[in-house]
Amino acid sequence: MEKFLGYKRPDGKVGVRNHVVILPSVACSNEVCNAIARKVKGTISIPHQHGCAQLGFDAEQTARTLIGVGKNPNVAAVLVIGLGCEVVNSSIIASKIAESGKPVRSLVIQEIGGSPKTIREGVRIAKEMVCFVSRLKREKSKPNALILGVECGGSDACSGLSANPALGVTSDLLIKEGGTIILSETTESIGAEHILAKRAINKKVKQKILEIVRRTEMRALNLGLDIGKANPAPGNYEGGITTLEEKSLGCVMKGGTSKVMEVLEYSELPTQKGLVLMDTPGHDAESMTGLIAGGTQIIAFTTGRGNPLGSPIAPVIKIASNSYLYSKMKDNMDINAGEIVTGHETSQGIGEKIFREVFRVANGKLTKSEIWGHREFAINRIGPSF
Amino acid sequence: MNKKHLEKVILSHPKDNVATARSAISPGTFLAFSKDKKIMAKEGIPFAHKIALRRIPRDGAVIKYGERIGRAIREIKPGELVHIHNVVGERGRSKKK
Repeated sequence: MEKFLGYKRPDGKVGVRNHVVILPSVACSNEVCNAIARKVKGTISIPHQHGCAQLGFDAEQTARTLIGVGKNPNVAAVLVIGLGCEVVNSSIIASKIAESGKPVRSLVIQEIGGSPKTIREGVRIAKEMVCFVSRLKREKSKPNALILGVECGGSDACSGLSANPALGVTSDLLIKEGGTIILSETTESIGAEHILAKRAINKKVKQKILEIVRRTEMRALNLGLDIGKANPAPGNYEGGITTLEEKSLGCVMKGGTSKVMEVLEYSELPTQKGLVLMDTPGHDAESMTGLIAGGTQIIAFTTGRGNPLGSPIAPVIKIASNSYLYSKMKDNMDINAGEIVTGHETSQGIGEKIFREVFRVANGKLTKSEIWGHREFAINRIGPSF
Repeated sequence: MNKKHLEKVILSHPKDNVATARSAISPGTFLAFSKDKKIMAKEGIPFAHKIALRRIPRDGAVIKYGERIGRAIREIKPGELVHIHNVVGERGRSKKK
């Protein structure tokens, strides 16, 4: 059995990173958070555009995402900064994150009296948090604690022949070790949903798979628009992908061949081990944000056209679908699956290689996206701003 | 399948009527699929793009991964490039035009 050294959190979950997060509950707090993070080594701020003038499901989804990000096991401690008048209330966010047992504090700019005072107080709290978390040690952990998100972006027609089936092998291997795989990007299941539905563990899961795909397809059709104007994207077409179905059939291979255990809404936490689907859009930064809010510690990301995206919380392992891309964008790529296209490697061989890389990264090896400081973060909106 | 044609294209499923170019294929290149079956690339096939292995009639299904990936909008002859100029997807497309 593969083991790794991870950070055991009070709720029993295991992190592969040890972040102190300065989290704005609303866009109005972004710069205060950034200022604190600039001042205190070992902290990261996660600015975003949301948290205010949102209603209903949309406000709930933003709140659920922020709470999920704070609860992610890669996060050791959280300082939430609110403005004071926003919809997504900072003290509620903080108290929900605190249910995980990790140190959480919150500050409200209007209560403290402006930016400089909040920054001063935030810096003091953040410093204490860093002192605490830097003393935490990695301990032997079992692979069943791992949730691997599988993602693709900037696909080409090789993706479904090399990187995605190889990552599918990795998914099967991790599930065999008791771990969890989250397959997302519902738009990129359109035309391949029958394959996933066939593997549903029960009727309810099967219906939910078909429902999220229908819902996504109808959202575009009800607007009188073709999804194919945006997905496949222009670069996908240039890379030889001809239709959305072709892209989807390649995309779903990332999840491997296991039974689908459950279907999650955006940012929801899995309740099952094994292969799990999450309803996210094909927009990679939004999809990955949903994954990390769902507790994903590591993301494996395949690309054919080349994509540098990272995540503030999870290391992102980049897998090139072809060797041209790998040699051209080596600075952003962690693994080359292009050797499958040339016939020098098999999906099994590269899949095992990705699997070993997942454990190296779990043990602390930095991915290219981490080295370059890629921290893209985007919360999926399901309603307009009011 | 012999080793020789593997050098040029990938056939992802035996049911497929298209194959994917492992590297750019020049017009006139022969791809051998069995002793008695050879296909000549009628035009250049860019890297990772698809070549028709069989005649696909207008409105016929284009098959890759053993699954339907779209519909031919005109007849496609063996050896022709198969892409957005002669195939449309059938999913996520608005009927309001």
